[in-house]
Amino acid sequence: MKIEIKNISKTFGDLIANSEINISIDDGIHALLGENGAGKSTLVKIISGQISPDKGKILIDGKNLILGSPVESINNGVGLLNQDPLDFGNLSVLETFLVGIKEKNPYRNLSQTKDKILSLFEKYKINIDFAQKTNSLSIGERQQIELLRLLYNGAKLIILDEPTSAFSLEQKKMMFDTLRSLTEEGIIIIFVSHKLDEVIELCDSGTILKSGSVIHSITKPFDSQDIIDKMFENSSSKIINDQEFSNDRNFNILVSDSDFLERSNNHLENKFPFGSVIGVAGLQGSSNDSYIKNFFTNEFSDTKLILDSNASISKKTYYYMPSDRIEKGLFSDLNVLEHFGLFKSSDSKFLSWNKIKEIASNKINQFNIRAKFSNEVSELSGGNQQRLMLSLMPENQSILLLEQPTRGLDFNSAQNIWEMILSRKSKDIAILFSSTDIDEIWDYSDIVISVSGKFIVNIDYKKKLSKEKIINYVSGIL
Amino acid sequence: MNKNFQLIQINLLRLILTLVIIFFVLTLFGTSPISVFDSIIYGSMGSYSKLIRTLIVWAPISMASIALIYTFSAGMWNIGIEGQIIMGAVGATLIARSFLGDTFISPYIQILFALGFGGFWGLLCGFLKVKGNVHEIFSGLGLDFVASGIVIYLIIGPWKREGIASTSGTDVFDKASWIPTIGQNEFPLLLIFIIFILYIFSFFVLKYTSFGLRLKATGINEEATERFYFSSSKYILLSFFIAGAIAGLAGFSQASGAYHKLVPSISGGFGFLSILIVLICSRNIFFTLVISFLFSALIVGGSQLQIKLGLDHSLIGIIQATFVLSWLILEKLKLEKLLLKKIIRSNE
Repeated sequence: MKIEIKNISKTFGDLIANSEINISIDDGIHALLGENGAGKSTLVKIISGQISPDKGKILIDGKNLILGSPVESINNGVGLLNQDPLDFGNLSVLETFLVGIKEKNPYRNLSQTKDKILSLFEKYKINIDFAQKTNSLSIGERQQIELLRLLYNGAKLIILDEPTSAFSLEQKKMMFDTLRSLTEEGIIIIFVSHKLDEVIELCDSGTILKSGSVIHSITKPFDSQDIIDKMFENSSSKIINDQEFSNDRNFNILVSDSDFLERSNNHLENKFPFGSVIGVAGLQGSSNDSYIKNFFTNEFSDTKLILDSNASISKKTYYYMPSDRIEKGLFSDLNVLEHFGLFKSSDSKFLSWNKIKEIASNKINQFNIRAKFSNEVSELSGGNQQRLMLSLMPENQSILLLEQPTRGLDFNSAQNIWEMILSRKSKDIAILFSSTDIDEIWDYSDIVISVSGKFIVNIDYKKKLSKEKIINYVSGIL
Repeated sequence: MNKNFQLIQINLLRLILTLVIIFFVLTLFGTSPISVFDSIIYGSMGSYSKLIRTLIVWAPISMASIALIYTFSAGMWNIGIEGQIIMGAVGATLIARSFLGDTFISPYIQILFALGFGGFWGLLCGFLKVKGNVHEIFSGLGLDFVASGIVIYLIIGPWKREGIASTSGTDVFDKASWIPTIGQNEFPLLLIFIIFILYIFSFFVLKYTSFGLRLKATGINEEATERFYFSSSKYILLSFFIAGAIAGLAGFSQASGAYHKLVPSISGGFGFLSILIVLICSRNIFFTLVISFLFSALIVGGSQLQIKLGLDHSLIGIIQATFVLSWLILEKLKLEKLLLKKIIRSNE
């Protein structure tokens, strides 16, 4: 098995997603690395036939692959394992498997097919009851079934698009073992990931993409610092938020009684100076995002923010940024310029597009958004979408409510986002953000609210806490 | 290249391809496409009076199409447009039959009532959507039936003709209640003027006002509107009110411009036809103007087919359906884009 990617280029409007990409893989596990927006997903979609490139070709074992057709790619042994399992939750494991296999009528020789599937499961030591409903399984198990289905259909080249984001440690280990044994059978694996430790642990070779081009090829043994240097060739050093601030104006956070896990544990000093950054920490699946959103909608609980002066806070003082950028934050079919039009739409009944263009080009510069006016926001990378959302913050004194502001972003983009957020400290009343990454909470917060499950466990100044304490709190250990 | 210019080129090319497909289909039916087209064009635009007949059909269709642009922008399928047209006609008839019916201000008061009745019928749909979470397709369809029922009740009940209860319609309005026209051939200047104003106004509203942009945003992502400090419900309601009001005007045009009375099928199915037109035009306001005229010509010219060629009238339905289907298929295939690229390349 050998795959050769030759001169693949693809643009979306004015956006260059892939430019003259050349990669050749003979065997083993190959990593595809790069920042958000580097062009990894586009390349994966081209290989799997979901989109066709503007130019270039792909050879599989020297044979030209017809591009832009998922069926062609599958027939030539390309299998794609998506980030989230694309299966049918309401069907049983067996049915889910049967829906997607190569036999046109799997029910004709059901027992034979079943035996074949079973032996495949046994071969890779996967122990799952066939009759179980798919949605009762963990994400990791579902991904494993997907992987087996690809193998059953004769996949020789398997692409994993950040597959481990929802895995437990144990599942990850199992998955990695399976992947390694696959390479021994001559199957090539392309592994797309942000997580450097996984890449170093698992992969044999790799390609680093930047702005749509291949900038480096790497092979084992990997040097993690070297890879980071290559990935972020002009990255700045980590900014830490320990700017001292003094402000004689204060705000309070009034936590509703029913939101506290235990009344007795309430040591909070709830008067905070203007400009404080408040991190709402919580594990994946906890309600920390809901608390952020609640300040804006008041639908989730009675916990609220009030000013010392008791002046009422208008809805427009809040700027809420959901973590789900395209689904909840932006308008996928509107272009960048129209978003700035919306941003200005409350100022006047009429839109002066010339004025909006002026504002938009200033903001695009200031926030380093790599996009043209005419790009629809669904064409932008995650980092650019996030910077666009930030650029739409009101200019006057606000309370920022940021749900996981750096979710899914790479190191460099995340740093960039944080620089922008922290530059608002001197202006804003408060900056609240949620995160599941305790390091992020620790690096940027002045005050930490720890959420465990549905409840708030603790509110305190960071300087009175330790990282270990926060981890204990969010895990529900008091 | 200028984006608008390219859009016009693509649509022109698509129009030509669509006509070629219709040609082919007509040949399959064993008729001569040339003579069919000839009789349609002659029948709809062959003389001044024929052109005016086409304009009278075009008026309600183009009005309903503009109405639908508002609801489509807000992401709403306004199937209730038929009912809104009907209620507009009822509003107009109410005035035409009142003590105002024989005064010169009657048509102008009718306009207000048509706007109000249609707008109210649209708002019902909007309210059911926003407050009751009823999908607008179901409530719209239901309200269409209710409106038809109301018209039939009025025609055979309170507004029945002296001595007879028939479904052929109410008494003809007093001449003063007809839409004012000019000249011997009765050129409907007022109607054309209203359409002209509606188009300019709507173009401006959708492109240059906060309202227009917010309407579009509501249609794409209702959930994100709150973040931009406006409520999607308000814009959905407004879109239904505006659409209903404009559709009401279409009803006024039908009652006081075309029939000069209220008949059971007063909407003429023009509401549903307009949904197809707006879909074809991807909400572009100026294409809507052109395509709705083409369809009107088809309807008026088509009535000549039987007389001139002895062909069945249903052929018009086939032409309409072929037009819509092939247009939508061509749009999906993006054939014209490829063709255009080739043409540009060969010119270089």
